[in-house]
Amino acid sequence: MPGRRATLLQGTLDLLILKALSAGALHGLGVSRRIEQTTGGTFAVQPGSLFPALHRLEEAGWLTSDWQPSENNRRAKYYTLTKAGRRQLGEEAAQWNQIALAIARALEA
Amino acid sequence: MKRLVSLWRNLVHRNRVDRDLDEELRAAFELLVDEKVRRGMQPDDARRAARLELGNLESLKSQVRDARAGAGVDTLVQDIRYSLRLFRRAPGFTAVAVVTLALGIGANAAIFGVVKSVLLDALPYADADRLVRVYGRLLDGSAERGPLSAGTIHAIAERQRSFESLAAFDSARDGVLGGDDFARIVRIAWVEPGLFKTLGVSAALGRTFHQDDRASGLVPLSGGQLGPDTARVVLLTHAAWQRLFAGDPDVVGRDVSINGIPRTVVGVLPRDFVGPMGQADFYFAFDLGPVLANPVTVRRSQWLGVVGRLKPGTTHEAAQGEIAAVWADLAREYPEDNGNLGVSAMPLHDAMVGDTRTPLLVLMASAALVLLIACANLAAALFSRSLSRRKEFAVRVALGAGRRRLVRQLLTESTVLAVAGGASGLLLAQSVLSLLRGLARPVLPAYAELSLDPGALLVTAVLAFSTGLAFGVVPALSVDRVDAQGTLRDQARGASEGRRPRRLRGLLVAGQMALCASLLAGAGLLARSLWEMATAPLGFDPAGVLTATVRLPPRDYPTPETRARFHEQLAERLRLLAGVDAVAIASKVPTVDPSRASFAIEGAPPNAAQPFVVFASVSDDYFRTLRIPLRQGRTFDASDRTGAPPSAVISASMARRYWPPGEALGSRIRIGPDANSPLVTVVGIVGDVRNDPARPDAEPMAYRSNRQIPTSRVCVLLRTHGDPLALARLVERGLAVLDPSLPIQQVMTLRAAVGEGLAARRLPVMLMTAFSALALLLASVGVYGMFASMAAAREREFGVRLALGSPPRAIAGLMLLQGARWMALGLVGGALGIVLVAKLLRSLLAGLPTFDPIALGGAVAVLLGCATVALLIPLRRATRVDPVAVLRAE
Repeated sequence: MPGRRATLLQGTLDLLILKALSAGALHGLGVSRRIEQTTGGTFAVQPGSLFPALHRLEEAGWLTSDWQPSENNRRAKYYTLTKAGRRQLGEEAAQWNQIALAIARALEA
Repeated sequence: MKRLVSLWRNLVHRNRVDRDLDEELRAAFELLVDEKVRRGMQPDDARRAARLELGNLESLKSQVRDARAGAGVDTLVQDIRYSLRLFRRAPGFTAVAVVTLALGIGANAAIFGVVKSVLLDALPYADADRLVRVYGRLLDGSAERGPLSAGTIHAIAERQRSFESLAAFDSARDGVLGGDDFARIVRIAWVEPGLFKTLGVSAALGRTFHQDDRASGLVPLSGGQLGPDTARVVLLTHAAWQRLFAGDPDVVGRDVSINGIPRTVVGVLPRDFVGPMGQADFYFAFDLGPVLANPVTVRRSQWLGVVGRLKPGTTHEAAQGEIAAVWADLAREYPEDNGNLGVSAMPLHDAMVGDTRTPLLVLMASAALVLLIACANLAAALFSRSLSRRKEFAVRVALGAGRRRLVRQLLTESTVLAVAGGASGLLLAQSVLSLLRGLARPVLPAYAELSLDPGALLVTAVLAFSTGLAFGVVPALSVDRVDAQGTLRDQARGASEGRRPRRLRGLLVAGQMALCASLLAGAGLLARSLWEMATAPLGFDPAGVLTATVRLPPRDYPTPETRARFHEQLAERLRLLAGVDAVAIASKVPTVDPSRASFAIEGAPPNAAQPFVVFASVSDDYFRTLRIPLRQGRTFDASDRTGAPPSAVISASMARRYWPPGEALGSRIRIGPDANSPLVTVVGIVGDVRNDPARPDAEPMAYRSNRQIPTSRVCVLLRTHGDPLALARLVERGLAVLDPSLPIQQVMTLRAAVGEGLAARRLPVMLMTAFSALALLLASVGVYGMFASMAAAREREFGVRLALGSPPRAIAGLMLLQGARWMALGLVGGALGIVLVAKLLRSLLAGLPTFDPIALGGAVAVLLGCATVALLIPLRRATRVDPVAVLRAE
């Protein structure tokens, strides 16, 4: 069932975005670069998935955004984790660890 | 809510959101280009590469837009779709839940609609809580809310200080509207002109009465004619304006003929106005002066109602105290007139609610019990469903579904159920109310507008919702807390239903049985008492008797002789009809609000208080026609003509009550208040008649011959063989030949008239029986559900037991033991409920012991019977578990 797979992947992306923003505000490209950096290049998030995801998370109330000057002295839209987003990060991380553990155990068995 | 706001923003401020997105993507593009340039790319190549990396900007933008809108709506739609799919997969559960909710909500909303309109809504008068009704009563208890004499009202009005104003009124009487070719019976209420000011009602069109509209022409009960009918101006009620004048906007000033006398309409009353005497078509203004001036009618004719408006700041208690004090003086001053009477004052609202209060509260309580039982069922169904879905939840948690998401899914499910149940409940309530509008109209106060009450709907809906939420979501939360692995493993091993959920279910079933037992007991008691009333002998035989009523207008029949001639000619004509065995004429049909008259036995001290008895004037054949047995002496015959010595026939209970044994026959009495009226000889004693079929005992009664007292109200009673109603046309034609201007009214069988007397009693019985049937059904579903889930949970265990050689009987015993505990608990609770219900209903159970063993035993037997049937099905299934199949499923 493709739906289940998509959900799983979407959940992963959300988790990665939330984690990337947990250290501080970033603009869209910054989020993408941070994920690349922290996962050692395993995940390269394409803008086609990144921007819809950012907006979806903002709509869900986990992120807020504002316009700030960027490093190249232009204006860029910066995303910040909200309190709800931080809580969500904790929950998703815990769940992810649980599943990862379960699957690891299952593979060892 | 937040979601709706952002959805709104996305839809309405689409341009702004889009511009924002454009800028964001342009900034990202520039950042990307800068990044690539920094890595050493040529600016042009960098631009090309960045454009490639971002892809099609339009499709990216539309993806973002979808994501934004979808984040809110998508999941909701998804949840709803998922809920609907689940409900389709479990149609039994869904149907039970929705129907249960619909019944609970529907019954409550409908009954509350009635209760609110009768008990809670304000009367259609200004500052209605300052209005007081004063009643007269007979100290022997035979009449509690009776009329007062003009003298008493006048004295109260003069001596009191609590009221701004007081106004008297008569009960509505029949009159004839129109001329020879267009005659209609209308209801006329004579009132004091100040009544409308006292009630705080002004006319919708024209004006209400002035003091100089007062007229004479009223005939008080058992008094003489007090001058000619001089009423020339009349008021019209809104309903009569619509019905009789088609809402003619120029009706004010129009001339109408009522009782053959021309009069002018001076005003139309507002649409919602109902007089304290009940429905009427016309209002006439009377002058009590002549009544007060006449020594006979002033205090001895009790025929008036009275309402007063309290001064601001005066309490009802103070007014009641004052009226009691005034009455104490009046009783002392006129012991011969007032000695047997008392007065009571009560808020007008209580007076108009009348006897409907207790039945309505009982019904409201019943509907609430049904709702509780329904909620218990819903709770049990949702709860066991949540438990059986533990595995599904565990799988979804394992696949990454957040707890929030699960709870939201469950919330959506409960909401979808509640909305479906609530909507069907609303429809049900609507149809129940329109049914009640037809059924209950005659027994409810005239002002009651039966309508659905939004408040009641809200309360019941909230109750149903919270039940759904509490029992649908809470178990899911607790399941969610359990780790997914454990649940999945646990489920695979096939554990039995846990202890805690089982206890909860048991408690729910016990509660249902207790509530159901109380309801059934109530319905049983009410039904038994109605049965007693309907089957107890009336003292006359209503079967096969047709009744019809006409009223002789005073203009055409001014003298007793003309009326007596009409009575005689009518009886003669009707006697000739084929199929008629006997014809009688009477001033009243028995069972329809009887007239009462005071009487005195010859030789009684002149100042002694006079007792009241039911009084009727009847033709010779009356007793034969109604098959009322003669006990002693004779009934009326041709010798009781006008001018002959006045004669009376009395009932056995009157003879028993007021004379020493054997002395009534031949003694002489005065009937009516006038001490100078001729003495009447008791020539016969007849059997007792229960005029009010809702009363177990027969009231004492006196009859006089219609030759000597020819009344203007003429009730015809025909004993027929065959269908009485088949003669209705012939009776009408016979009347038309005698006097074509007389409109005939109330053609019905005597049995129907008796039934009308019981209508007020029948409605609560019907409704409460319906409620208990509902409760029984719901409780049976509850019992079934408990045993079914018990059987399902222990299926494997039973399979193993059977495989190991346990007899099916033992399995059944195991299950019964487990379930019977809760049913026994339910019956214990039910016993408490039954005691409460029986006490509450005591005032409605005429002639029945409070704890009638037949009704109560029947209720418990019916409940146990249904519960047994409900538990047999899962029991059978449990004992027929196929061990092989069960164990292979492991």
